[in-house]
Amino acid sequence: MHIPAAPDLDRMRRDRMQRLRDGMREQGLDALVLVGNTNVVYATGAIWPLGDAGRVIFERPVAVVLADDETPHLFSPLHFDDRMRAILPEDHLHGPAHLEFDEGVELFAERLAVLLPAKASVAIDEWTHALRRAGTLAGANGVPVDGGRVVSKAKAIKTADELACMREGLRITEQAIAQVQARLAPGVRQTELTATFLRTIFDAGADANILDPIWQVMPARIADGPWTTTGDLACPLLSTERELAQGDVLWVDTGVSYEGFHSDFGRTWIVGDEPSATQRAQFAKWRTIMDAVLSVIRAGATAADLTAAAIAANGGTKPWMPHFYLGHGLGIDSAEMPYVGSDIGDAFDSSLVLAAGMVLVLEPVVWEDGAGGYRAEEVLVITEDGWEPMTDYSYDPF
Amino acid sequence: MTVTGVRPDAAELRTARRNRVLAEMEAAGVDILITGREANARYIAGVPRLWLAGSRPFGPGCIFVRASGAIHLVSTWDEGVPDDIPREHLHGITFNSQNTLAMLTGIEGAATAQTVATDGLMPSTFGLLRKAFPTAELVDGEQMMRRARCIKMPDEVDAIRESVRVAEHALAAAQAALVDGVTERRLTAVFMEAMAAAGVTTPTTQDVAWTTSSKDSWSRSTRDAAISPGDLVAFDAGVIRDGYVGEIGRTSVIDRLPSGSEALLGRWQELWDRLMTACRPGATGTDLLNAYAAADVPPPPVPVGRGLGLGNDLPLVSHELPRTAAEQRLESGMVLAVTAYVWQEGVGGIYGQDPVLITDTGPSLLSASQGTRSLTP
Repeated sequence: MHIPAAPDLDRMRRDRMQRLRDGMREQGLDALVLVGNTNVVYATGAIWPLGDAGRVIFERPVAVVLADDETPHLFSPLHFDDRMRAILPEDHLHGPAHLEFDEGVELFAERLAVLLPAKASVAIDEWTHALRRAGTLAGANGVPVDGGRVVSKAKAIKTADELACMREGLRITEQAIAQVQARLAPGVRQTELTATFLRTIFDAGADANILDPIWQVMPARIADGPWTTTGDLACPLLSTERELAQGDVLWVDTGVSYEGFHSDFGRTWIVGDEPSATQRAQFAKWRTIMDAVLSVIRAGATAADLTAAAIAANGGTKPWMPHFYLGHGLGIDSAEMPYVGSDIGDAFDSSLVLAAGMVLVLEPVVWEDGAGGYRAEEVLVITEDGWEPMTDYSYDPF
Repeated sequence: MTVTGVRPDAAELRTARRNRVLAEMEAAGVDILITGREANARYIAGVPRLWLAGSRPFGPGCIFVRASGAIHLVSTWDEGVPDDIPREHLHGITFNSQNTLAMLTGIEGAATAQTVATDGLMPSTFGLLRKAFPTAELVDGEQMMRRARCIKMPDEVDAIRESVRVAEHALAAAQAALVDGVTERRLTAVFMEAMAAAGVTTPTTQDVAWTTSSKDSWSRSTRDAAISPGDLVAFDAGVIRDGYVGEIGRTSVIDRLPSGSEALLGRWQELWDRLMTACRPGATGTDLLNAYAAADVPPPPVPVGRGLGLGNDLPLVSHELPRTAAEQRLESGMVLAVTAYVWQEGVGGIYGQDPVLITDTGPSLLSASQGTRSLTP
């Protein structure tokens, strides 16, 4: 698969709008109102550093995509920076839409009425109680048409430009991770690792951090960790000011956003020590499982093909945490379709057909109760006849 | 159990917060309250959860049953979960809507509930809620939670003050890094590193610095543009520590005040004084908006008053929403971030934001120093 060294961002945005509008046409929609942060990013190409969920609720940009307009509208309290102005003309940039307040809904409905034809068919990804009170976008049964589906479908298969953005986001993440790994030593606090990570991602070009980084110290036995509903491992657990100790086994999980794309990174590290023979054997088994899954990946394979390969390589049991999955999609969201091996169930996995251009994060887990375990993540893009890696970060110290 | 230091919020605080929510549920006749928003779930359960950036679609996170006071939490593990939420009330993460439905129908009283409140709505899960609560009317739980959370208890004010202290610490590091040629991006990097090194890894905003434009009141270049002497650089510093938000805004310059900025600073001070005069019990949001009008300052597109607490707190005072502003009355115990922003063509903007506690005797700043002091190089 050809992934350009540098993305053509204009082409990327045009391609997305084309997909969204194709999806709208299929559903007979005249307009799509998007409220979810990442959906707005997808539709408009506007990039801003994502904030805390609480602050975001009152300051959410809203996108309006019209079936007969190749440029989306953006309603936002954010600064309009030079980049945003370059991609969205003045008459498509609007002040904020406060959909959490009755008055804000009234104002938005008035603005929307100007943009839409009479009796337009409109879908929205997330509703609010204020919108519901006003009956705004309510369908015949009192519920709006789900606009999220249009975006889910459009974003599943990545274009070459999108893959180029994702590869850069992963590179930035791994550049920061290398700095963190160099700092790993007994006596260092988890939050100090986070400090290094956060500084480096911004310096390296990330737009934002997307989750509080995980540097989880794993116990040797499940029973030595928190109780879980599954009886299996508790992961990811929050990082604290805990000091790391010689020999601690860390499961690492982080991600950043770049050009609207989220990255993902997962490895197992050992603090101030080389892996033991047991730990090396765990890694070897993880490698075997990963290779088995990779060997069946290609366009046309089902998610069930992947889970079957993983289970067979693991001697008949699922080598992943039951509250998560063997793998998940990655893109404008940290975890998105396709989910492989989740609790949606076997029938879903059998029906989910992989396609070229989908990006998968595989995260099998090897666990030996009493001796701990190994977990890492591999990010790849599916091709017609197989797959290609999206990253090349080392498995050091394994 | 391994020792990791993840602890639930203090028992007294949990009880006091839950009692406020129960009183609101009682008043509104709500049998079951389903919260998905982090601030609401934290207020009720008192459990720290993983911080993720950006908005999240609504899904049940914490469920509060009025009759029994029982709390159900979507959490696969019990770390950070207090003893008053028993294990049988923990429900694992699920990707399967049928499992979510089974969880909801298993809540005591689900089948007969008359009124169920949620703090969010998704077109895709509306049907699921109707199935889980077949006899119930679905009502707005977000407004209820906003009312419950609005007035801060002394322990909450202390928590906000602690968060502000961390924000100020990290802000000072970023301001110290403001030198000729530095970028907004670098200042953000410095802020984030200082924040995390101080033990707090969760920001409220990742847009920490912006160079105000001398040509347009609310535009900017890019995060990678070099900052020069004479630029008025605004800082927006916010952290979340133990769930509570601490935010502060300041404006700095590299080594000299640009010409014209002294007069602008005078206007800023006048605006700020007028805003503070409006911060008293009994005043409304309109009084804050009027402070801008009286100082003859055009308002910014962002809210000029925004509640501080666990996130999305009232009051929200914005020029975009004059009627909403008029309906919101300031009361003793409210905490809000008050923003003063003045701009002049050819000069740039001066931005200052402080966390203000409303008390019976007037406004009380939760920050150590007030906005303008840091404008001096």
